[in-house]
Amino acid sequence: MNAIWRALDRFLRGSPLVNALMRRLGIDTVHYWLLVDLFGTLSDRREFFSHLGRDAMSLEKSAWLFCFLSGVMTIVFVSIGMAPGTYFLVFMALSGFLLLTALLAETNNSLMNPVEGLVLAHQPIDGATYTSAKLTHILRILLYLVPGLNLIPAFAGLLLHDAPWYYPVLHMTAAFAVGFVLALLCCALFGWLLRFVPPARLKAVGFAAEMSSWLLYICFQFVPSLHLKLRMPHWLPAGTGLRVAMAAAIGGVSLAIIVLGIRALSGDYLVRVAAIAHGGSARKIRVRRSYLGAWAARLFGGPTARAGFEFVSRMMLRDWQFRRQMLNLVPIAVMLFAGAWQGMRVSPFSGKFTAAHLLPHAFGFAFFLVCNAMPFGNDHKGAWLFHLAPAGAFRGFARGVYARLLTLILMPHLILLPVLAWSWGARDAGLFLAYSAAVSAVYLALELRRIEGMPFSRQPEGAGDPGMMALLLAGGLAVAIAVALQYFLIFRSPQVVPAVTAALCVAAWLATRSSLEAFEIAIRFHLGLMSNESKGIYTEVNG
Amino acid sequence: MAAREAAGLPEAIVAFDCVIFSYDFVEVLHRISFTLQRGEIVGLLGPNGAGKSTTIKIIAGILTPGGGAVSVAGLPLPERAIDVKQRIGYVPEAAVLFESLTGQEFLELSGRLHGVEEETLQMRIREILETFNLSSDRSSRLDTYSKGMRQKVLIAAALLHNPELILLDEPLSGLDVNAAIMIKDLIAALAADGRTVLYSSHVLDVVEKVCSRALIVHHGSLIADGTLDSLRESTGQESLEDVFRTLTQSANVEPGVARIVAALQS
Repeated sequence: MNAIWRALDRFLRGSPLVNALMRRLGIDTVHYWLLVDLFGTLSDRREFFSHLGRDAMSLEKSAWLFCFLSGVMTIVFVSIGMAPGTYFLVFMALSGFLLLTALLAETNNSLMNPVEGLVLAHQPIDGATYTSAKLTHILRILLYLVPGLNLIPAFAGLLLHDAPWYYPVLHMTAAFAVGFVLALLCCALFGWLLRFVPPARLKAVGFAAEMSSWLLYICFQFVPSLHLKLRMPHWLPAGTGLRVAMAAAIGGVSLAIIVLGIRALSGDYLVRVAAIAHGGSARKIRVRRSYLGAWAARLFGGPTARAGFEFVSRMMLRDWQFRRQMLNLVPIAVMLFAGAWQGMRVSPFSGKFTAAHLLPHAFGFAFFLVCNAMPFGNDHKGAWLFHLAPAGAFRGFARGVYARLLTLILMPHLILLPVLAWSWGARDAGLFLAYSAAVSAVYLALELRRIEGMPFSRQPEGAGDPGMMALLLAGGLAVAIAVALQYFLIFRSPQVVPAVTAALCVAAWLATRSSLEAFEIAIRFHLGLMSNESKGIYTEVNG
Repeated sequence: MAAREAAGLPEAIVAFDCVIFSYDFVEVLHRISFTLQRGEIVGLLGPNGAGKSTTIKIIAGILTPGGGAVSVAGLPLPERAIDVKQRIGYVPEAAVLFESLTGQEFLELSGRLHGVEEETLQMRIREILETFNLSSDRSSRLDTYSKGMRQKVLIAAALLHNPELILLDEPLSGLDVNAAIMIKDLIAALAADGRTVLYSSHVLDVVEKVCSRALIVHHGSLIADGTLDSLRESTGQESLEDVFRTLTQSANVEPGVARIVAALQS
């Protein structure tokens, strides 16, 4: 794919027609190609963290993952003899949803990059040129992801009954069209945000916009019932001509929204992006004495525990990198919420399998993501502060961090208690939540070892951990076995649950003791490593 | 402007007229007005958070004022921001760079974005890097540079296209003594060659040595604008530091010092 891209790149650069067209559109061709090269170089060298880079590693991985997913679905659909029309629509919908999810994240990363704004805002680059260079970067992603998602289904479509001979061409053309429209939609969305949202709010709003594909997913869950309740077909005018006019009007408005959104990007775009960094919210954050922090200090090791507790509490809410990583939790939360909504009235002791059985394991997955993301932070250079702390402080600090994570188990369980007691009865709710909290505590104790160093003190890594996929698969298998055991053995008798819960509490206590020691050692090791790195934070003294 | 030139008056390169600026609905600059003439070296002084960097960013076309009028070389901002950016060199207070680029690559990018001819650009980069003792590091990535080296790269990037107006926000931050002396001499030489320099700093003795005029901003308002001699005269103080302390009403710092010591002893 990189070879195709390079050939296309060479052709476009050399074409007088393309360059003349760009100049007619108000694009400075010299600046445009300089910026395209710059984004490529920065991406090659992993300067754009969390981006799907030009070095194609992340892009290729994503494309192969999509390829595998669509391949499995293709085998199923072809073997059941799905109608070509349905087959086409299913893949277009799947392609649209996955591309929207990927493009929203990439557009947010790419268009709202304050570092770029800080370096380039005072350079004489006009918005149209900068935006077109950015759009080129985003469109390149489609060149990878659309074939990854659609190449196998497009050719396998020929195996369907009544599929025309030109089906692969039709499928691929439609898939690229869907991708292109979605890319423009994403850019337009962020264009509108940049135009109307104050700079201090842009990052938070962009973060919410990234999740909008999941919001659409939730909305679609309710579409059939809403459609019936609101009798929407009755709203439409009776005549075909009126319906066509209405469709044309809606299409026109949509087109105008896209065009104006993209035009909004090409105004004083760089200045607005730079303002994200310049314009931190001037609003004062109310400084409150945290009762939970005082509790952590009393129970977990004094002021150093409180330091760990408060530091992690604040950084989990404010660190941009961490918050982005937590986006991965949204699909799980959405599915769990949808499942819980449906299965809320059925007690796990009823003998039926419900979403409630998955609750403690969802906490386990959430802590896995939290503990993996926690060592990395935007403000990792602030870690110099910890080099000045006495070595003995890290025991309490580690315990304080653990206390903070423990509250993430205790709080939701306490909130759920009255709700579930009302629905299932006090005994079932109490037993289930005690069991769930104990399982979650075991997960937390084990996953604490994934925090490899001082929290929020490492530079985010561009490349993903190669062992992560294997770990997730193995973990998924273990969880499936645990859920099955829980369903078939534990929740069959209310007497078994307290005994298992007690055993789990002991296991959690032992595992936590051992993990906290490992965590403390990891903190010291990481800080020692940072001090010794040649290009670490102390290089400044050489200047 | 033509009339001023005809009358032999110095031409204003920056005109700041009743400028207001707000961050997140909080007004941080209150109707500030001043002009900078060609060839002047003007110090921009003020306590932390006074609005110095915001003022510089508005002139650089990075921030858009909420009210008032700003023009650079007769070009109104923000309407002609691209043309203004061609004419200015800006050294930001924070040394934010593309860390994965080398020093040479970063300077090439900056020069090419300003349209400097390739041959001239390479010659200028070579000369500046040699003068700054960065020649041997030109192929190293910027993330391996020390703070002082990064600062030198930023200054080099600001000068490569030979700008008319140079905006310096704490330019000596992190520089060693030799480099700082050289930059001070360079500023004087550039001003003598007709460039205008707006120099923001907290280091008052440097401002005193380098600048002919000072603007003092306090709580977002311009509280003094004049030559250093006129400021000394109007306040009856000897040094710029005393002038500053008098104007910003921070002359009596002893009670504050005593409170901190008392808090530490408690």
